[in-house]
Amino acid sequence: MRALAYELRRLRGLRSTWLLIAAVLLGDVAVAAVLAGQAPDGPLAAPVGVRLLTAAVPLIPLPFAALGAGVLGALSYGHEVRHPGLPASLVSYPRRVRLLLAKLLVVGLVAAGLALATLLLDTVAVHLALPGGVTVAAWAEPAALSARVSEALTGAGLSGLSDLPGVLAPLALVAGHGVPAALLAFVLLAVVAAWTGVLTASLTRSAAAGVLLLCALPPLLESGVALLLRRTGRPWLARAAELLPFQSGIEWAYGGAHGTAAGSAALTDPALLVAVSAPAAVLLLAALLVQAGRRAL
Amino acid sequence: MIQITGLTKVYRKGAPPALLDLTFDARPGLVTALLGAEGAGKSTALRLMLELERGQGVTLFDGRRYRRLRRPEREVGVLLPGPGEGVAAVAGHPGLRAHSHLRMLAAAVGVPARRADELLEQTRLAAVAGQRLRTFSPGMHRRLALAAALLGDPGTLLLDGPTEGLSPRNVEWFHFFLRSFAVAGGTVLVTTRTPQEASQLADRVVTLDHGRLVADQPVAEFRRTRLSREVAVRGPQMARLADLLVSQGAEVRRDGSVGLAVAGIDRTEIGELAYRHGILLHELADRVVEQPAPRVVLPTASGRSGHLRVRPAAEAEPGPDPAAEPVTVPVPVVAPGIERVPAPVTEPGAPTAREPEPVPDTEAATTPQRRAPRRQGDASLPTRALPVAVVAAALPALGSPVPGTPAPRLAEPGQVGAAIEPAPTVAVDRLFRDDLLPAADSARVRTRGRHESTDLLADDTVRLRRLTSGATAASTAASAASSAPSSAPATTDDHRSE
Repeated sequence: MRALAYELRRLRGLRSTWLLIAAVLLGDVAVAAVLAGQAPDGPLAAPVGVRLLTAAVPLIPLPFAALGAGVLGALSYGHEVRHPGLPASLVSYPRRVRLLLAKLLVVGLVAAGLALATLLLDTVAVHLALPGGVTVAAWAEPAALSARVSEALTGAGLSGLSDLPGVLAPLALVAGHGVPAALLAFVLLAVVAAWTGVLTASLTRSAAAGVLLLCALPPLLESGVALLLRRTGRPWLARAAELLPFQSGIEWAYGGAHGTAAGSAALTDPALLVAVSAPAAVLLLAALLVQAGRRAL
Repeated sequence: MIQITGLTKVYRKGAPPALLDLTFDARPGLVTALLGAEGAGKSTALRLMLELERGQGVTLFDGRRYRRLRRPEREVGVLLPGPGEGVAAVAGHPGLRAHSHLRMLAAAVGVPARRADELLEQTRLAAVAGQRLRTFSPGMHRRLALAAALLGDPGTLLLDGPTEGLSPRNVEWFHFFLRSFAVAGGTVLVTTRTPQEASQLADRVVTLDHGRLVADQPVAEFRRTRLSREVAVRGPQMARLADLLVSQGAEVRRDGSVGLAVAGIDRTEIGELAYRHGILLHELADRVVEQPAPRVVLPTASGRSGHLRVRPAAEAEPGPDPAAEPVTVPVPVVAPGIERVPAPVTEPGAPTAREPEPVPDTEAATTPQRRAPRRQGDASLPTRALPVAVVAAALPALGSPVPGTPAPRLAEPGQVGAAIEPAPTVAVDRLFRDDLLPAADSARVRTRGRHESTDLLADDTVRLRRLTSGATAASTAASAASSAPSSAPATTDDHRSE
């Protein structure tokens, strides 16, 4: 409890926290607006919609919000290494573990909040920036809505999103077939990235090294896992590309045609979730083990 | 109450220990200063006490080890230098404001934020509480760190160089604060580099050199033995004044071309003397001069089993490469009669018995060599047994003010064979003179320098005692008085020729 209070105060007191969050949100909005402005005429495909909303830029290993959350996590740990407040009171192992868990919890919550704020702002930005020729499928056809959303709408006595008042029009962007699941997966990705940032910084005892390691992880994991799955013949890669833009960036750069259309597995596929969260779990284990041999965080 | 027992730290195998068997107590109501030059092992000692580093030895804070304390911040306040070298050490993240930094730590300690604000008032930082730490001066950082250490309202303070590199005002403030903390019943353990500061601040001074405890004295004794007052006099007619002063019984030495350093006579008396004799003075000032700190010579394992390497004392002239002659290390003084008793190799009764070797294999390596030369001496010098034993018996009778204090840390059994430096006798002399039993020391130090001959005798006798300390001695003190002087010169010569 004390460790949680400490971590909250620490995060609040630092100016860099607020600057980082503001920078991430600004970057998100700008990227989303620019990407939306370039969208081709015609109905907006669901994967493209997801990519717009999460402001995923090709060739950056992680979406902005996930990257920002990871940096926040790495800085949170780096602070303890460079400026330990009361170094002597962290000698005992249980106290260090408690502080580490408090950090994970706080940073994870902040990351989730950041991801949600990103989605909110991006929805508004994309709605405002979409050119006139682009139509959002979910806006006009009830058939394009995901099952849950249509259920909720019929429950409310509406036949489609077009019945809603105009202020809520951006909702259509996130209501398309399979899109809500992708957005949930995005929030999860941000949280996992934040944890990874804390844990990599914990292993290397340096915020900078932690961030570098965090950036290096997704490409390595993605290529590794994609290779594995391609060999076993499971086609989840295309949908994952919406979230983890690095692979899709390569395909985009080298003109790979096979990627975008083939996706059929949902983003809530347990295999994908496990693949995303496994590194964090492994890192946590390693960090706890390494802590046992240390005298300071 | 902090009980420190046998703190030992060896960084690399084969390297000299950074800290060797440091043992002392810090009592409540007293300020205990850990004094030593840079690299003497003060910070290492503090870090070992908190178990921030691995090492041997146990430190008990009111009977428990630090990491076993339930709420360590409530019982022990710790001020360690932050990241950054020396003066540049910072108390916390430069982007934090002082009050949010302290409130953050208050949350970690589990005290209300109100306590943090109180401490900012107490450390006179309330006015700048809203500023970021990057704008703070070293003194402000140090005060903030002290405030952080005091958050849990501890009864014990552990401070590592709290006044290093601070302005005189800040130093004064720190001294005042620590003194009043101790007066209120707290235990304070503080490290410092300068003897002057130790004498001003502490009630008890523990002197470290090269990781070993060389003295553990109350401050009065420390002042007497390690600091001496003298008067600096300058003027055009110093030769005449020097003659007059010597005739008055003062100790006079030249200090520069036109100056004198006078000891043993008051400043006002010098002024009156000069006035009466019409001698012009340009300067007449009191000053405190620091006596050279006791030094230790470290025996070190060479890393090869069965070999010893001797590191020359700092002030010793560079002798022949010590490592080149590892096995032929001589024993300075042999205690022949004693050797017949089975005990002496371990010297059980000696106060030094609680000092183990830094590395176990060092002991193993030194033991056989130590025996061999002594046996030789045994045969060749049978007549010296009596005085040696007698001195050993007489010295405990003098009584030592502190149980198990400075005494013969140097001449601990395993080291004697190794501690012979290849340097001239001056160093040896100094070495041993500074390291006497407290009782013998206090009795003798007042006369040091004036009666060189007796001094030498005392040195030798003490050296003898040390080698044979704890040995059985059945003779009486009366015969010691008569026989010690006669035997001492002989041992000196003997030692030097070896």
